[in-house]
Amino acid sequence: MLQHGNDAEPPRPPRRRSVLAAAAGAATALAAPALLTGCGAAGSGGGTLKFWNFYGPEHGPDPAVNRQSDWFTGIVAKWNATHRAKIELVYTPPQIYQNGSKLPTAFAAGEGPDIFLLSPGDFLRYYNGGVLADLTPHMDKAVIADYGTSLASRTVDGKVYALPMEVEPLAMFYDVGAWEKAGLSEGDIPTTWDEMLDRGDKLRSNTRAGLIFETGPGYYQNFTWYPWMWQGGGDVLDKQGDVSFDSKATRQALQLWSDAVRHGIAPRTLPAAGDVIGAFQGGNVGMWQQGIWNVASFKAAAPNFRYGVFKLPVPPGGRYVTSLGGWSFCANAKGRNPEAAAEFCGWALGTMEDDCIDRMVDWCIGAKSDIAPRTSALERGAAKGGYDSAVMKTFKDDIFPGGRPEPRYPPVVYKAISDAIQGTMLGGDGVAGAASRAAQSMAAYTKSYKGASLV
Amino acid sequence: MTSLTAPRRTAAADTGSARTGRRPLSRKHREWIAAALFLAPDCIGLLIFVGIPMVLSIVLGFFQVSGFGSYTWIGLGNYRRMFSDPLFWSSLRITGIYVVVLVPLLFVISLGLGLLIKQKLPGIGVYRTALFMPYVISLVVVGLLGKFLLDDQVGAVNRAMEAVGLSGRSWLGDPSLALVSLIAVTTWVMMGYYMIIFLAGLQEIPQEYYEAAKLDGAGPWTTFRNVTWPLLRPTSFFVLLMSTVAAITGGLDLVYVLTQGGPANSTSLAIFYIYQQAFVFGEYGYAAAMGSFLVLIMVVLSAVIFALTRGGRFDDGE
Repeated sequence: MLQHGNDAEPPRPPRRRSVLAAAAGAATALAAPALLTGCGAAGSGGGTLKFWNFYGPEHGPDPAVNRQSDWFTGIVAKWNATHRAKIELVYTPPQIYQNGSKLPTAFAAGEGPDIFLLSPGDFLRYYNGGVLADLTPHMDKAVIADYGTSLASRTVDGKVYALPMEVEPLAMFYDVGAWEKAGLSEGDIPTTWDEMLDRGDKLRSNTRAGLIFETGPGYYQNFTWYPWMWQGGGDVLDKQGDVSFDSKATRQALQLWSDAVRHGIAPRTLPAAGDVIGAFQGGNVGMWQQGIWNVASFKAAAPNFRYGVFKLPVPPGGRYVTSLGGWSFCANAKGRNPEAAAEFCGWALGTMEDDCIDRMVDWCIGAKSDIAPRTSALERGAAKGGYDSAVMKTFKDDIFPGGRPEPRYPPVVYKAISDAIQGTMLGGDGVAGAASRAAQSMAAYTKSYKGASLV
Repeated sequence: MTSLTAPRRTAAADTGSARTGRRPLSRKHREWIAAALFLAPDCIGLLIFVGIPMVLSIVLGFFQVSGFGSYTWIGLGNYRRMFSDPLFWSSLRITGIYVVVLVPLLFVISLGLGLLIKQKLPGIGVYRTALFMPYVISLVVVGLLGKFLLDDQVGAVNRAMEAVGLSGRSWLGDPSLALVSLIAVTTWVMMGYYMIIFLAGLQEIPQEYYEAAKLDGAGPWTTFRNVTWPLLRPTSFFVLLMSTVAAITGGLDLVYVLTQGGPANSTSLAIFYIYQQAFVFGEYGYAAAMGSFLVLIMVVLSAVIFALTRGGRFDDGE
């Protein structure tokens, strides 16, 4: 060994330059694939289609959330078992999906999901951006009639670009205990705006808001305000798409919210940071304009809490209307495989097959508490007892029939309306000036607007 | 040992250079290369993650961007729209108030806290940690905490006011109070960070100066005015510059959670309005133009701060 060692060249310690060179080489070798992978991801993506949503896969302590997640994982598993194009669910928390930048950023970067959930408020932006695939070829013809007016805000030139999975009407929720404590009975359920303000006044205390309207600016606030304007016969745009916002009906709807806040009947911020169930349970709410989805939340989180619902009251000479919200399935026309993505949407919600109808029934009365957007599913859900409870029966028979789908106004129109609501409700602006300013802003925009019909 | 190894290394180097026909690098060159290598990751990172996006953002400001891959050249169209957009000017005005109130407030409170926690008191480490703690909490959590504390009906602030006979206010729902509430929450979050910076600056001041001042009979205020304040100049400059930049470009998270820019746009800071245009309305080109304009304002403001404070340097004859 000694001999051998003498023959061999003695090992030299590594020099600093070679160490640096080796480190740089190693770093480059490590970084290059990552960088190249990142660059190459655009558009390549493999064969699996991504379905972005805010329901699943997700499991937590809330049984309602778990049921909704199971519904999504169930339909995707069934599709994957019977189709070549595979789908993968990608969960994004609701707050980030509904109000955050993830979805728009993904589309801006050309990395939009293949299938995604869309609300009516966002429909036009995505349609005008050319990313919504036509779902009509993948639907049974009879389904269009079965959906009825639920498809109106998702249709352009007779073609369907989004398939609703639910209809979510707005109503007034109230705390039965607080109602009784204030000396009110069922006969005191308000049917007019004045009665509603009066009941709110009776229900309020230092720690309880009598009547709650949405206070935060955003699409949701507009959505909850529209019915008050519609009830007086007003509208944002007329049937020709011209601005008709500056009207008596608009001004009286703005005045209603303004008066409720000014007289201290409605609060300026939402109690319990907007946690509906928590606020009701904490005794901080008398009445709250809310959606049908809270029925499932009450059932899951506060099954013993006594609450009731009633139709939104109307102004003198007005006609009952409420807003109908709800999300829908869309396919990305610029995705990896638009054909398969559209086919999935049609398969999931757009055929007359029993499976398809049952799927919607399961969603609307099992996983959630919603009105089914298709007549067949609504009837089947009713037959299964999904609308037998007093609250769901009221929603199905009284509240939903007077509903009008959420409109699909673009951002500039939405913002003008939002500023009018915020300015009059919380900023002390006069209703006439606010309505007029909003109308002017919308008129300037609609003159140069290019895209699908706004109405 | 050194005398033995040094010539050997030189000889090896000489042999090597004779073999390759190159002269060895001078010490200065070797140091330069080492410095460049050490700086390279930072420079490359800055170029990729700051420089290039900034240039792209400026370029984007000249396009109408659909948010779905369509880019239309419109020249100065976005800038013309910006100058005639009352909501943008309103957001700039709100940002101005926010900066003018928040920066001095942060400065004074952080400096005061820095002076306090510099004292050698029992358990001072606990106070330092407690004051710094809000800075390490997620801003979303801070925002939610703020929402609960400032709640109209059951918030601790209104409860405390009612306990002393004052009537509660709608801190986040009244346009005249919402910005004040936002500034208060921001101050609470940020003061710990600047307090630590001031503490570092205060600890750099040699103790001898304080002893000399004491011998001269200087009281606390005179000592602060003639010793602490002038010697804190570099730290003060840093805090002033950083808090100004943070006030102009930050605040988005808290506005998002606390008020969503409301009520009635009263907390719609410029950065929030830009965010809203880009990510809620999909107006990326317009948002980029406003962002570029905001950067320009920030550069000008930074230059003014540099000029007024001489960059925090001591070399001014004082």
